[in-house]
Amino acid sequence: MDEKRRKFEMQALPHLDAAYNFARWLTRSPVEAEDIVQEAMLRAFRSFDGFRGTDVKPWLLTIVRNCFITSHDRKPDLPVSEADGADPAFTDAAPDPEAVAISADHVRKLNLLVATIPGEFREVLILREMEDLSYRDIARITGTPIGTVMSRLARARAMLKEAWLDRVEGARNAVQ
Amino acid sequence: MLCNEAQRVQAYFDGELESGESVVIEQHLVHCGACAALIRDLQSTRDALREQVSYYAASDRLRGRVMQSIGGESAPQPKRRLLSDRHFWWGIGAGFAPAAIAAALLVTVNTPASTDQMAADLLNAHLRSLVSNHLIDVASSDQHTVKPWFAGHADVSPPAVDFPQSDYRLVGGRVDYVNGHRAAVVVYRHGAHVINVFAWPGDAEAAPQLTTHNGYHIACWRSGDLESCAVSDTAIDELLALTQLLKNSQG
Repeated sequence: MDEKRRKFEMQALPHLDAAYNFARWLTRSPVEAEDIVQEAMLRAFRSFDGFRGTDVKPWLLTIVRNCFITSHDRKPDLPVSEADGADPAFTDAAPDPEAVAISADHVRKLNLLVATIPGEFREVLILREMEDLSYRDIARITGTPIGTVMSRLARARAMLKEAWLDRVEGARNAVQ
Repeated sequence: MLCNEAQRVQAYFDGELESGESVVIEQHLVHCGACAALIRDLQSTRDALREQVSYYAASDRLRGRVMQSIGGESAPQPKRRLLSDRHFWWGIGAGFAPAAIAAALLVTVNTPASTDQMAADLLNAHLRSLVSNHLIDVASSDQHTVKPWFAGHADVSPPAVDFPQSDYRLVGGRVDYVNGHRAAVVVYRHGAHVINVFAWPGDAEAAPQLTTHNGYHIACWRSGDLESCAVSDTAIDELLALTQLLKNSQG
């Protein structure tokens, strides 16, 4: 195995899950996410010789995001897919969430709430909370100033909290 | 109702403030009810996102596709190169830069069969763990810490047994890549030697039963659905003694 490939497998491949999770949340489609990640990994490999930084993960996620944007210039935005938990029962009365253990149903509904947050807010939320990246890294990946990252993050968190509270209160009213 | 400090409170929550500023915000939180409530909200959103919202891991199929497309890009090599030397540890002990050692010790080996390919991959993964400061992801001599950690991070959760009556010390676990598989690795120390025990879901691919490359021994066995390979430069009898202990513990 040549040196470049060995280095790439050692440094970039461990972030494949992060790349896929990010692409999956950007596209909200498993099929599209896989295509984007494959394309991104190939582009990353081709430009790996030119990579001089030490932190591979933000660099790789920037490429994933660029691939996503390129592919979306060609295709219309996808609706929230069934796979994100958009089941028809979503608007039905739920039992009191406080009494419910974390069930598959609960996970599906939370996934849907996150999936319906607009893209520019959703991406900072995923990068901060799931990938544990710093504001600086998120600013680099999304190509926005740190101040914008902070305000979008605050807005994304508030949206999720409000959406979740609405559900909790809706469920309480339904129970009463 | 948001306080004017809301943005700094968020930055504090995200660990983005200098220590001086953190102290100011901590004092502010004591008497600002709105910001104290904000911190609780931030924490519950974080808990929901980290514990309840799906983290989508790459499938083995995608991993395979990626490996294949990268493989297609790299120029075919007539011979495979392996890092190795029996005096590897002395080098580390003497404080040489790991990269310099790696470069100095490149040895070319002809390995035609797929079993050899896997042995080469295992050996490379073993050596990589020694030079890259990525020996362990979870450091613990407690099997009740290591085994559950794998459940959240790897495809398999092999037994991470400590053998207090023996010379083998459990030091931790990590996730690594071998031959395109995501493997759970249980790490032991035996004297000055590190023993990496790789485990992945067993399939049709042949793992070498016992092989030696440039002073490193690789011993593999299958237990149920689990394929395991122990790799070290310790003496072969000592490596086999550990594999026997592990086999016994797997019943």
